[in-house]
Amino acid sequence: MTTLLRAIALTVTLAVSAAPLLAQEQPKQQEVFTPIDQLPPQEQLPAAPLLVGAYAFVLLTLFAYLITVSRRLTAIQQEVNRLETDVKRAGKS
Amino acid sequence: MPKWFLPATLLCGLMFAISPFVIANAPFESTMGLVQKVFYYHMPSAWMFLTASMVCGIASLRFLATGNARYDRTAWAAAEMTVLFGLVTLVTGPLWARKAWGTWWIWDARITSSLVGWMIAWAYLILRRYGGPGSEKLSAGLALFGMANVPFIYISVTYWRTIHPATTVVPKLPFSMGFPLWFCVAAFLLLMVLLHKLRVRVAEQQARLDEIYLSLDEQH
Repeated sequence: MTTLLRAIALTVTLAVSAAPLLAQEQPKQQEVFTPIDQLPPQEQLPAAPLLVGAYAFVLLTLFAYLITVSRRLTAIQQEVNRLETDVKRAGKS
Repeated sequence: MPKWFLPATLLCGLMFAISPFVIANAPFESTMGLVQKVFYYHMPSAWMFLTASMVCGIASLRFLATGNARYDRTAWAAAEMTVLFGLVTLVTGPLWARKAWGTWWIWDARITSSLVGWMIAWAYLILRRYGGPGSEKLSAGLALFGMANVPFIYISVTYWRTIHPATTVVPKLPFSMGFPLWFCVAAFLLLMVLLHKLRVRVAEQQARLDEIYLSLDEQH
């Protein structure tokens, strides 16, 4: 039991004493604004995938909606035509 | 469909086919570079989003005043346009912002009010779809809130602190950047008019179908 308590005390002491050292190792907080074109190359994002992604998304979304509405319209018009024909037939007979 | 619909559709398709070349010929913006070209689709879609929201609100107001189902169909179609162009705006914006601002999203006044406007349009459509009888009047009331939100979206960059560009940017654009922008605005406007017309036609045919079913029920 005493050994266990000693081990816990040692761990806590080491953790507490190491905390300031770890804090010192953290990078300094940035104080000034860095323009995007002055960032180091490893931090710069490529623009082309974002641009192509944006244009592809717009065109695909608009086209998908156009197809959806066209299909809805065709289905409803076919049903209207079918029912109107049935009503006419029923009226004649 | 009206006679002008097919030629207008062909013209719209041609404009969208040409637009990448027109945009590619526009000069690069000095600070943002290539990614700034998202602007030529982002801004027209944002304008169509606001226009559709206004059309939805005005048509809903007229529907509430007159009870004419034609205005209701116009409002319903415009609500779908609001959701469609709002989605395009809210997706292309973050793709541009990721490179230009270093973040996908910020909760500034313009982006937040745009998101609210888009969610109001969604609420309109959900209410129409699942609200049952009488939902058309409740939806029309909701559309008025959507319309009231539009001026807030527009002036938000003037009255609240934001990193969004001010509304004064567009009139100051040089011709080399202004022409592609207005070309895309015309293409998006034509597309919205055509899609709206098509969607209204769906609603008209649906109303016709309901009438036929009602008359058949009365006969039996």
